[in-house]
Amino acid sequence: MNDHVNVSILCNGKKYERMVEPRLLLSDFLRHELDLTGTHVGCEHGVCGACTVLLDGLPVRSCLMFAVQANSHEVTTVEGLGTPENLHPIQEAFWEAHGLQCGFCTPGFLMTLVPFLKENPNPTREDIRTAISGNICRCTGYQHIIDAVQLAAEKMSNP
Amino acid sequence: MKLEGEYTFDGPREQVWELVRDPDVLVTALPGAKSLEQTGENEYEGEMNLRVGPVAGVFAGRLVVSNEQPPESCTLAVEGKGKQGFVDGIGHVNLEAVEDNKTLMKYEGDVQVGGKLASVGQRLVETASKSIIRQGLDTMNNALVARLEAQQTGEKMEFTPPSESEFAVSVARDMAGEALSSKAFKWIIGAVVIIILIIILVIINQNGL
Amino acid sequence: MTKKYLGQPITRNEDPRLLTGQALFVDDVDMPDMLHAAFLRSDYAHARLKGIDISTALERPGVVAVYTAESMGADWEPGPPLVSPPPTVEDVVFNSRRQVPLVKDKIRHVGEPIAVVIAESRYIAEDAAEDILVDLEPLEAVIDLEAALEPDSILIHEDLESNLAAQLVQNKGDYQAAREQAELVIKKRFIIDRGAAAAMENRGIVADWDVKSQQLTVWDTTQAPIPIRNGLAARYGLSEHQVRVIAPFIGGGFGPKMMMFYPEELVIPWVAMKLGRPVKWIEDRRENFYATTQERVQYHDAEIALTREGRVLGISDQFLHDTGAYDPYGLTIPLNTQSHLLGVYDIPNFTSEIKVVFTNKVLSTPVRGAGRPQGVYVIERLLDMAAKELGMDKVEIRKLNFIPPDAFPYEQHYIDQAFAPLIFDSGNYKPAIEKAVELIGYEQFITEDQPRYRAAGRHVGIGIVAFPETTGVGPYEGARITIEPSGKVNVATGVGTQGQGHFTTFAQIVADQVGVDPRNVNLVTGDTAEFHWGTGTFASRGAVVAANAIHASAMAVRKKILEHASKHFGAPQEELEIEDGQVRVSDLPRMSISLGELAELANPLRGAVEPGTEPGLEATAYFGPKYGATAFGVHSMILEVDIETMTVDILRYVIVEDCGTVLNPLILEGQIHGGVSMGIGNAYYEKLVYDENGQLLNASLADYLIPTATEMPHIEIEHQETPSPLNPLGSKGVGEAGAIPVPALFAQALENALSDYDLEISETPLSPNQLYELLKGRS
Repeated sequence: MNDHVNVSILCNGKKYERMVEPRLLLSDFLRHELDLTGTHVGCEHGVCGACTVLLDGLPVRSCLMFAVQANSHEVTTVEGLGTPENLHPIQEAFWEAHGLQCGFCTPGFLMTLVPFLKENPNPTREDIRTAISGNICRCTGYQHIIDAVQLAAEKMSNP
Repeated sequence: MKLEGEYTFDGPREQVWELVRDPDVLVTALPGAKSLEQTGENEYEGEMNLRVGPVAGVFAGRLVVSNEQPPESCTLAVEGKGKQGFVDGIGHVNLEAVEDNKTLMKYEGDVQVGGKLASVGQRLVETASKSIIRQGLDTMNNALVARLEAQQTGEKMEFTPPSESEFAVSVARDMAGEALSSKAFKWIIGAVVIIILIIILVIINQNGL
Repeated sequence: MTKKYLGQPITRNEDPRLLTGQALFVDDVDMPDMLHAAFLRSDYAHARLKGIDISTALERPGVVAVYTAESMGADWEPGPPLVSPPPTVEDVVFNSRRQVPLVKDKIRHVGEPIAVVIAESRYIAEDAAEDILVDLEPLEAVIDLEAALEPDSILIHEDLESNLAAQLVQNKGDYQAAREQAELVIKKRFIIDRGAAAAMENRGIVADWDVKSQQLTVWDTTQAPIPIRNGLAARYGLSEHQVRVIAPFIGGGFGPKMMMFYPEELVIPWVAMKLGRPVKWIEDRRENFYATTQERVQYHDAEIALTREGRVLGISDQFLHDTGAYDPYGLTIPLNTQSHLLGVYDIPNFTSEIKVVFTNKVLSTPVRGAGRPQGVYVIERLLDMAAKELGMDKVEIRKLNFIPPDAFPYEQHYIDQAFAPLIFDSGNYKPAIEKAVELIGYEQFITEDQPRYRAAGRHVGIGIVAFPETTGVGPYEGARITIEPSGKVNVATGVGTQGQGHFTTFAQIVADQVGVDPRNVNLVTGDTAEFHWGTGTFASRGAVVAANAIHASAMAVRKKILEHASKHFGAPQEELEIEDGQVRVSDLPRMSISLGELAELANPLRGAVEPGTEPGLEATAYFGPKYGATAFGVHSMILEVDIETMTVDILRYVIVEDCGTVLNPLILEGQIHGGVSMGIGNAYYEKLVYDENGQLLNASLADYLIPTATEMPHIEIEHQETPSPLNPLGSKGVGEAGAIPVPALFAQALENALSDYDLEISETPLSPNQLYELLKGRS
């Protein structure tokens, strides 16, 4: 009844080909087809930002996209940023500044911030607040996250 | 949620009354109505495709007419149930003969919604309801006019009810229009024009024209 | 004992995995042959269930089974009560009605589960749920608390005589006499509503029944895996050791993920056992608004009696508490409210009656604060009104009534939610408020800044409130510490973790005693196979009860280390020291052995051991406090209101908090920031809106407004440490502290900012709309 379609997606530098239902959400594709469970699903209506990934370098809500829409595109998830042995400076900064508590929203924040810091290598706290206003965190009150972003900006400008 | 309004039909009361009680006309007037069957003397059952903002689905509906006082007034009770929730409404309709052989319909009712429709579409339900009612009444009025013409000329009645997508587009336009009032519209258009003028001036300036 | 790690802002052990997507949350669990569940939930708040037709659903390809209450047969049983009625108070009314696995005959709130579909994918299961036809007879919904108690109100539980779920009166001293003596009596009604916890991770369960090993394994987003394990074992006739409940990384708890025995927790394991295949159910966000518990309305009719000088003689408060459709948590929340109605003040006379009322809404159970914010709201608002009436400064009236530092332990002479006499263990309130006053520049604001703002037409106001927080309740927790031959230290405890940093704070405690780096301490929480005695993480008790259990266990391991090393070196214990994973004799550096080697020696493969020896370097210990420790704090803020848009901008936010001994200041601050963000949500942005039919009108994050970074202020925190005498670490809890005083603080600051409108705010949450309505018609 549901025709399956072939998709080919480059994710974190690796090419994946799968047969999927057209209605399969990109978030479910990443989490359950590719077993990349770092991207989390918080609301499935595009508000909380936990599912944010990069599509061709730009942040998108993977819960509002179908996997087929990402066909022939490049997707970057949090797994593509770093590993526990080799953390990205922004991951290091979050660690040092205690920018996460339960960690569920964190991958969404990280993927939103990677392009932000590229465009804004020296943001003020106000700039940062605005940049993350599309990501909801229920644990931290955002203060340590903002500290982390400033620390990350510092790290990335003095590598 | 209270709903009330007025509508003027281009025809006499008796004809309007007949239309209201004709299931073949009603089915064209109700949005996305796929069928409307008379299941009792004053009862109709049918299915409709309903779209309110992000919520869309098929609703199984029941319409009961009571307190009939032709051609003056009646009470309509509507029950709609679907996967997206439910709608329960009761309305009183009053028809008044006015000049030029027209009819003024006054309606007032109470509608309760539940389920997904209430929790996600709730903000839009009132606007959507008014729009759906207005579109439906417009359709009925067009049918009335066509019927009267046919009676006069003796020709077959030409009347095409709007398609489901046309209906949905009109409703959406109504909803957007209400969200953006005409007053705001004028301000926005004005502002845009001024901005464009300024940009043009800057470009002219920069190019030393 | 060299305190090297405790009290240090050490970065967390668990972060690298969370930051790189390598941490396991329940929805990450994937098992071969796994099926997916979707629940059909009621669209009506109150209805009789006449029939269910699942035939169409069963025909859909990919659907494996559909279950209703009928399918469960004799296994259908309401959930267990989570608290019992207070045994020590007379004349208590207590009608315990708990939620059911699947609706059998009556629906009592929107979202109650009617049937469950099991299919090959979540998508198919959700499609099939819509195929199910349900025949319902809608009934009138009971929403308003006072209407619910009217004699002619429709009954939610028809076997009861009314919608009264519970009733309790508590007294201290003689309020009536105090009232007669008083020179000023102020009476006020307060309407307090709260909201959803809305953790970023919705709930979820994966259950697997392995027929060959006769083991039931359940991954559950629960804050209390041990009670769930015990409950499931009892329910399905299994031995507790056949059931393993794992709470892996959890994306925020905040209360509703406690041991609720939600319908899904009763149904999904049952389905897994019936089908012999693993079953997964993951809640989606809209479902979360209907299927996960919340905290609800209270109507307070309160009174304060004072002398002309501002000394409070007594408080009276009769209040109604909305418990929703069922009351598994009994009187817990309103008892917490009562515990906080006297605030941090020395008030000798008190009378309060609680009436818990059933309504056709989603269940009300503890959400961060759990009744405490409501109590604090009432007392702080009453004091503000009294201060205004008497022409007293808000800070002065509070200082005048504080419990003095020499009055501790301060007995309140009535009971708390743990059914024990409420006693505040320690406190020192005056320095805290004076510090807050200094930090925020209270004097300068009132005398210089505010007049300047006013002259410029800006509405800027200041607020300052003080509050207690009962924390660290028993009964107990436990921990087991093992030193492995590799030198790594393993710790297991029963509580779960939802972001509080247990993996790190607990490691710090162990590290100090056992002489290793916290990074070498591996902690397991929330797995009943690793540790199966305890209750769970709630009521701000982790840092008190679990931490002290770990401390006790660490001390016991230390003792064993010293005993073994002493024997090994032939040196007295006093001459030994443990550092960096090595035990050495003080002045003889060559006489040193690693903890790992010592552990191996303590577990010989051959030879004899002395009677009474326990093998290895391992110890298990438990801790149960005599009663809960009471933390406290002062919050102060300066906010500006835009008169045209009614939006609020918080210019400064200052906190002085005292939670006893600080275990990790970095984690402590994070907890407070998070609490304040929930408090600000509760004060101005978050409200669950039910219509008169019990329909929830804002069941999405688009309409239920959680504060984002642009609504949050920068928070300045100052610590004060008044240790608790109730536990060796001297710690008190702080998990809920950030959220508790905020609605009261908001009300005060708004009134101050809008003093030219002479408002008297007695409702929370507020919103730009409501503020507009309040200001309309007032100059």
